[in-house]
Amino acid sequence: MDNNVIDQSKDITILELLDRVLTKGVIITGDVVISVADIDLVYLGVKLMLSSVETMEQLKAGKAIKEI
Amino acid sequence: MGKMIYAILSNTNSDKLNALLFGMKGISGENLITVTFNEISAVVSHIKREELIADQASAIAFAGIIENIGQHFTLLPMRYGSMLESAELIQKMLEKNYSEFQQNLQKVENQSEFGLKVFCDSEKLKDEMRLKSETDDNPSVKSDEGIKKSVYLDYMNKKLKEHHLEEKLLNYIDVVIAEFTEKLTQLNAVSKIKKRCTATILIDAVFLLKKEKKDELVQVVKDSQNKHPELNYTLTGPWPPYNFVDINLK
Repeated sequence: MDNNVIDQSKDITILELLDRVLTKGVIITGDVVISVADIDLVYLGVKLMLSSVETMEQLKAGKAIKEI
Repeated sequence: MGKMIYAILSNTNSDKLNALLFGMKGISGENLITVTFNEISAVVSHIKREELIADQASAIAFAGIIENIGQHFTLLPMRYGSMLESAELIQKMLEKNYSEFQQNLQKVENQSEFGLKVFCDSEKLKDEMRLKSETDDNPSVKSDEGIKKSVYLDYMNKKLKEHHLEEKLLNYIDVVIAEFTEKLTQLNAVSKIKKRCTATILIDAVFLLKKEKKDELVQVVKDSQNKHPELNYTLTGPWPPYNFVDINLK
């Protein structure tokens, strides 16, 4: 079994990064804030990425279950 | 013209901060500068309204800037898209929320965030559990005088078994979480854990701990992965403390 648990895969790193920067961190709301349009659309793309990562990880995990 | 805000940080070493920001560019190519109130600074860059495009590349560039600064300073990362019209408004925002920023900066001082996702096909895992517990006395609705063997009874038994297996799966997840959180408590890590997020993500956790404890965290996760080879662990980080700043500025 691979002992390297720190993930180096580009997909997961980008997914985790986008999830954080689009939905976490300090947020400012109110009338004085300039809004950026379409951030929701970018996050929708992140959710789609999550689905593909899940499928990939599901395949890996499925293989592990068969092996035990 | 507006100001994109990247991070809030302590300005006790302004020379070091200015040296770091010298030459660094914001997402629209403008220089990064600071707006300061007392000992708190916001790292910002000018941005024109027509440059306000939301796409993955801009969000990644935004995060990259925070990441760079975060390697040298304790900071509070801003969510992508945090912009105010002018430096004056940013200064007022810093003044109004000064104590909250100070408290949050103290909370995350010299700490890093890590993310852990534990993947598994829960249906396959439940199939395994079903096979292993075939000899167990699973609960079922018994046919008696009142309830004749029927489609209804079959349905009830099927649902009961599904519920029983789901309960077993949740117990199993709880055991896995308890194993590693016990060790993480010894590292003084702060954890936020969600379980059974989707059919595939059994555990989605974030940890905040001292930067120098990274190797110990990796070891805890490795040990847990080795103990549960049927699961697939993915640890990412170190990240700026995105999940540990609960500030919503008005």
